[in-house]
Amino acid sequence: MTVGVPGWIRTNLFSSPLDGVITIVLAVIIAIGAFNAVNWVFFTASWEVITSRVPLYVIGRYPQDLYWRPETALLLVSVLLGMGWRMWGGLARGFAIAIIIITLLAGVLPYLGVDLSPPTDPDAPPNEPKHLVNAMFILNFVAVAVGYGLAMIPSIGRAKTFFITAVVFFIISAFLIIGSSYIPGLDPVPTQDLGGLTLNLLLAAVGIVCSIPIGIALALGRRSQLPFLKYFCVGFIEIVRGVPLITLLFMSRHILPLTFPETVSIDELYLAMITITLFSSAYMAENVRGGMAAVATGQTEAARALGLRAWQTTIMITLPQGLRNIIPAIVGQSIGLFKDTSLVFIIGMLDLVEMGRVTIQGNLDFVDDGHEVYIFIAVVFWVFTSSMSYVSRRIETALGVGRR
Amino acid sequence: MQNVLNPGGIPFWRNVVFIQWAVQIVSAIFVLVIVSGFIFNVANEIREREIPFGFSFLDDAAQIPIGESVIAYDPSQSYLYGFIVAALNTVKASVLGVILATLLGIVIGVARLSRNWLLSKLALVYIDTFRNIPLLIQLLFWFLIVLELPNVREGYVFFDSFYLNNSGFYLPWATPLGGFWPWMILTFAGIALGIGAYNYLQRREITTGKPSYPLIAAFVIFILLTVVGFVIFTPWEVVAPEPQGRFGRLQGGAKLTGSFFALLIGLVIYTSAFIAEIVRAGIQAVNRGQTEAARSLGLNTIASLRHVVFPQALRVVIPPMISQFLNLTKNSSLAAAIGYPDIVSVASTMTQIAPAISLIGMVMVTYLAMSLFYSLIGNIYNRVTKYAGVG
Repeated sequence: MTVGVPGWIRTNLFSSPLDGVITIVLAVIIAIGAFNAVNWVFFTASWEVITSRVPLYVIGRYPQDLYWRPETALLLVSVLLGMGWRMWGGLARGFAIAIIIITLLAGVLPYLGVDLSPPTDPDAPPNEPKHLVNAMFILNFVAVAVGYGLAMIPSIGRAKTFFITAVVFFIISAFLIIGSSYIPGLDPVPTQDLGGLTLNLLLAAVGIVCSIPIGIALALGRRSQLPFLKYFCVGFIEIVRGVPLITLLFMSRHILPLTFPETVSIDELYLAMITITLFSSAYMAENVRGGMAAVATGQTEAARALGLRAWQTTIMITLPQGLRNIIPAIVGQSIGLFKDTSLVFIIGMLDLVEMGRVTIQGNLDFVDDGHEVYIFIAVVFWVFTSSMSYVSRRIETALGVGRR
Repeated sequence: MQNVLNPGGIPFWRNVVFIQWAVQIVSAIFVLVIVSGFIFNVANEIREREIPFGFSFLDDAAQIPIGESVIAYDPSQSYLYGFIVAALNTVKASVLGVILATLLGIVIGVARLSRNWLLSKLALVYIDTFRNIPLLIQLLFWFLIVLELPNVREGYVFFDSFYLNNSGFYLPWATPLGGFWPWMILTFAGIALGIGAYNYLQRREITTGKPSYPLIAAFVIFILLTVVGFVIFTPWEVVAPEPQGRFGRLQGGAKLTGSFFALLIGLVIYTSAFIAEIVRAGIQAVNRGQTEAARSLGLNTIASLRHVVFPQALRVVIPPMISQFLNLTKNSSLAAAIGYPDIVSVASTMTQIAPAISLIGMVMVTYLAMSLFYSLIGNIYNRVTKYAGVG
């Protein structure tokens, strides 16, 4: 009875009369929904609001002359994906292939008469294909191959090397995208010109990477027996966790500029980065604390019995094991933070969501295209967040967290 | 007499007490220098740029309109009153949101565990979709949908009493009459008596072993008193909204404005996806052996669920659930994006005239109070349900 396709259908869909009714009703609802969705996507919806302004959603009003900077950052990402493909396959391979296809399209389409450059004056002549921009897009598959090749060298193809490379590449990419007045040749890009998905990714990455050390410090402070340190950390963590990010961003706009001397003028982008990092550190601290609390007491006792000092025990025994425990939690927090970066609209930054809203509210042509814009943005976010949660589940299985 | 700093001949720099105090003092100085530097800068800037500061503005007339309120409000009232009105709007959205999200979340979570493959996968798709899309997009989307509804005269009508159109959702609602308070007193008496009867009968059942049906008795007492009170006092009547006049304005009943309706839908759907996962994990966390043991002790299905499975599942479910309630409350601050006058959106309007620093402080204190309230509930729950002899 439970063998084969009919058996499977009987046990999983029609095990009782009520079950059968539920199945049929749901099947009808799904069929109608799917029909309407397909109909809408392919026939009713007008996707021009997306296709005519792809660069705005990807990187905002970033100056076209400087496109080589984010493109270099993208090449670095491709190298990392290539390494990941060789080392773990799975999702890294999927992303590497996706990025190769997307960048090849972006690089080749301009020569086939499809204009992908940012919208300009409607009367202006169509943009000539920019050879450097397109060539750098096309080069991404080379970057993936380079990464794949590098990872084949045994001393490079290790998780530790991968993470160190990732952090170094991340710092380089951030400087490339934002620019810095201290580095010749990398003029800072005006904050108002930086936007779209790049801004969301940048803010989330900065928030997570910078919040790890601060979070560890706060967690150690909270665990310490020194009352002053302890209550300072507890106070910070609980206050930040008790209020919505939106109020912190709001505060950053009004109060943070005042905490620096008047001579130092702080850009909104840095305000957002500082606020998001502080916000994220409070949650990171709680993760770290949880991870360290889960380390068996026998570990500490063994370390002490071997003659390690208290600080040595923490640095060499408890903390590494605690951090290992919380890798899935860090991925989970990255998902949350990535979603939360959409709140920077409150300080007037044009992230992906705000870019969409501005597009439909500021353009008479697109006033009726709200559904298309929001669904497109939702899908973009969904692709990133759900693949991150897939990674988190894989890591959880690989580490065997909770099963040891 | 032994030297305090040199017990047993250990040099003082290796004395634990000394090291701890030294670290503490150094870190205290470090933190104090940074914090006081910030405060000094802020104070300096406030003085130099003549930024308004202080709380004297709270008594002035706010002069800002607030679209909807739980208690009556008009712009001539003070800032403080306007702030309270906005805070109540936040409370209203979060209380309703918490109740509805819990109910929906439980349904989805149970559906996720259903033996029906289609139902279970559908629940999975629901959870994966709504959990992974930023709440802001969802709110903007629902608000767009609400705005695209037909206008009042052409809007949808269900059962002649529910009206859905682009100005909001209108539904029948109870209007209190004269006998409301006596009825309320009787209802509360019913709750108190019910709890008393439950405790008494439960104890009797345990000591004598005779089945005494404490839960049923408690409900009967409560319902009896409420119904009797209702018949005697007629405390309220349900009024359905009615179209009035040439423009079909709807009067009577309760109205959820478009932005509140969109906020509520968004918050409920988003949070219910998280709650569903918590519920699923909670039910799965109870070892199957527990049910089997309860059954072999002679408890029937309902009794084993009620006395064995649910209490253990609740213990896993309640703490993360409370943190989801807190998240929902904090997320309601996104109302600012769709024009619902919650505490953040009203405070940010007020900052155009009133001192921003004071207002932000007030908003943060309000949220902290709410989060303390939730953690208080969580702590009480943990204390009540703590296993004897564990942690």
